[in-house]
Amino acid sequence: MSDKIGINFDREGHKYNFAGAGAGVSGEDGIIKEQDRLLPIANVGRIMKQILPPNAKISKEAKETMQECVSEFISFVTGEASDKCHKEKRKTVNGDDICWALATLGFDNYAEQLKRYLHRYREQEGERANNNQSRAPPAGDFNEETSNYRGELLMRSAEIPSTPLKFNGGVDGRSNTSSLSRPF
Amino acid sequence: MRQAGTYSGILSGGISGRTGPHLLPLARIKKIMKKSGDDVKMISGEAPIVFSKACELFIEELTQRSWMVTMQGKRRTLNKEDVASAVAATDIFDFLLNLVSESDRSGVDATDHPLEMDALIRS
Repeated sequence: MSDKIGINFDREGHKYNFAGAGAGVSGEDGIIKEQDRLLPIANVGRIMKQILPPNAKISKEAKETMQECVSEFISFVTGEASDKCHKEKRKTVNGDDICWALATLGFDNYAEQLKRYLHRYREQEGERANNNQSRAPPAGDFNEETSNYRGELLMRSAEIPSTPLKFNGGVDGRSNTSSLSRPF
Repeated sequence: MRQAGTYSGILSGGISGRTGPHLLPLARIKKIMKKSGDDVKMISGEAPIVFSKACELFIEELTQRSWMVTMQGKRRTLNKEDVASAVAATDIFDFLLNLVSESDRSGVDATDHPLEMDALIRS
């Protein structure tokens, strides 16, 4: 019995594709890099789906394009934040730097929401540190605490609408800074 | 497989796998941040958390804008050309212009079509 059942190492290597592959990926090295440099297509797709009406469909290519765009977004903003740190002779890029970079690059409405989010997160972290000194929560409680803490974080900070398609304002439904009403 | 680190448990969505408000993997975000430049050396723990929310907002905005193009075309399936149109129409998404036009040109480049060139030469 010498046939290689199930092993298919052809020259192109495995095309796993679950991270969303760009065009022309070949060789295992290339594929590993694709997985590393993109956010998972399932997560990206989920966020897209949540903001659209229930009957909307999204092509796989659109999700892949979105993956690429998000990675580019992260690089773009990080680059700006990192430059600032460099100029100020600081070694660590922190949350404030990200907020600053977002505002600088034109994402003012994100920056505002995220500043509040970050503030909440830091408060919670401070509280958690104090709580942990008095008790260590068991694993079950830990999960409960997790979702409550982050749930609270979300609720009390950015007012991001949960209903899809709020086109009357910006992303947060309040401001008109991003001109969604501008005709194409 | 993966070791429990800074981004497991409370930050990445809980041991039970519930994602809650964090919809994007923090360790991956951190990796992408590191790749953005050689001078990105140290990243605070909160930076990927801020980014996970920022990316959510970004995906939501780009998706909504793309969907408007889809609707204008009286379609129900959001495709990548819709995303490209939305990028082209939004100033703050200018940094994406090359990226979306590259993905459009993954096939034949129409300007290089030999028949057309021949026709032009003969006319």
